[in-house]
Amino acid sequence: MKKRIDNYEEINGYAMDMFKEIGSIGTGNAATALSGTLSSKISMSLPEVDIMDYDQAIDFLGGPEKVIAAVLVHMTGQFSGIMLYLLDFDFMNFVLEKLNLKKINSYDDIDEMSKSAICEVSNIIISSYANAISQLSGISINLSVPAIALNMLGGIMSVPMIEYGYVTDKIMMVGGKLMYSNEEMTSNLLMLPDIKSLNFLFKKLGVFYE
Amino acid sequence: MSKMITVGIADMKFTRNEGVLITYALGSCVGVCLYDPIIKLAAMVHVMLPSRLEGSSDKNIYKYANTGIPSTLKKMEVFGAVRNRVTAKIAGGAKMFEILGNNSLGNIGMRNVESVKQVLKSEGIPIIKEDVGGNYARTLLFDSSNGNGIIRLCGRKEIPF
Repeated sequence: MKKRIDNYEEINGYAMDMFKEIGSIGTGNAATALSGTLSSKISMSLPEVDIMDYDQAIDFLGGPEKVIAAVLVHMTGQFSGIMLYLLDFDFMNFVLEKLNLKKINSYDDIDEMSKSAICEVSNIIISSYANAISQLSGISINLSVPAIALNMLGGIMSVPMIEYGYVTDKIMMVGGKLMYSNEEMTSNLLMLPDIKSLNFLFKKLGVFYE
Repeated sequence: MSKMITVGIADMKFTRNEGVLITYALGSCVGVCLYDPIIKLAAMVHVMLPSRLEGSSDKNIYKYANTGIPSTLKKMEVFGAVRNRVTAKIAGGAKMFEILGNNSLGNIGMRNVESVKQVLKSEGIPIIKEDVGGNYARTLLFDSSNGNGIIRLCGRKEIPF
């Protein structure tokens, strides 16, 4: 029996189920936190967790030249890696509207205030997922100050890609839908724990490989 | 425009006489265009990381500056390029996120650029144009019929390169 993994491709079976569970708990936390922050009832669909190639992920998210808002947080401590939250245009406008900020027509006319608001809301969502990992495993995770970028998807994705370029060509994506009354918005979270942390997590949760 | 040839992430393509090489949304990666004007042979490498680690099992040599550029030059020579005619244009190496605190992720773009420059220098290839750094992604096009490039940024006009 193999007791550790060497790359993301080996995540399967129980380990995958475990990530689905983390995804569900995280999504639940995020929906609650978001509803509070934006004072509106937001629900989220059960997330799908996938391991994908970069090219595949970029195509899935709308192609390399699609402009997107992304918030990046570093995880350090017992569990390290990065989390990248991607907001599509509609969701961004929804957040701005709920916070009584001016809606935007294009990514160019966003001001610092709105940018900062988007960054904070994304940080809340990211923290919800990090909390889910902590809750399940008892591992404590430190999160860095969030950083935001509004640019072409391909360029944004190159950041996690390069960070883990020496280790893997795959990423883990937690994708789901946000629902507000009848509106549906997409939200995607990329979770990229490093391999060492993954093995630590599996050990804590008693997931073993065959 | 004539036929477009897409260069993927950590990939290399070349074309002769006509054809436009294109790589989409370079972030912290670096796009290296190599060109022999006499035989109109153009190559583009999408470099992702500065150098391949010793004993790495990774088969993709174009991912790294120190393996991708030399092997591209070798391939160009097979197709008739002469090394002292080849020139280079480089673009990319941006810092996408303004990350507070000290970490390696923040300046990987610049490290890529430095590594690319160093490799080109040791191969004896002059850099005739560069557009590196900044905090935005670039789409890079390179025309093999005349060696002209174009850089596309989001929400801005195309700039000749």
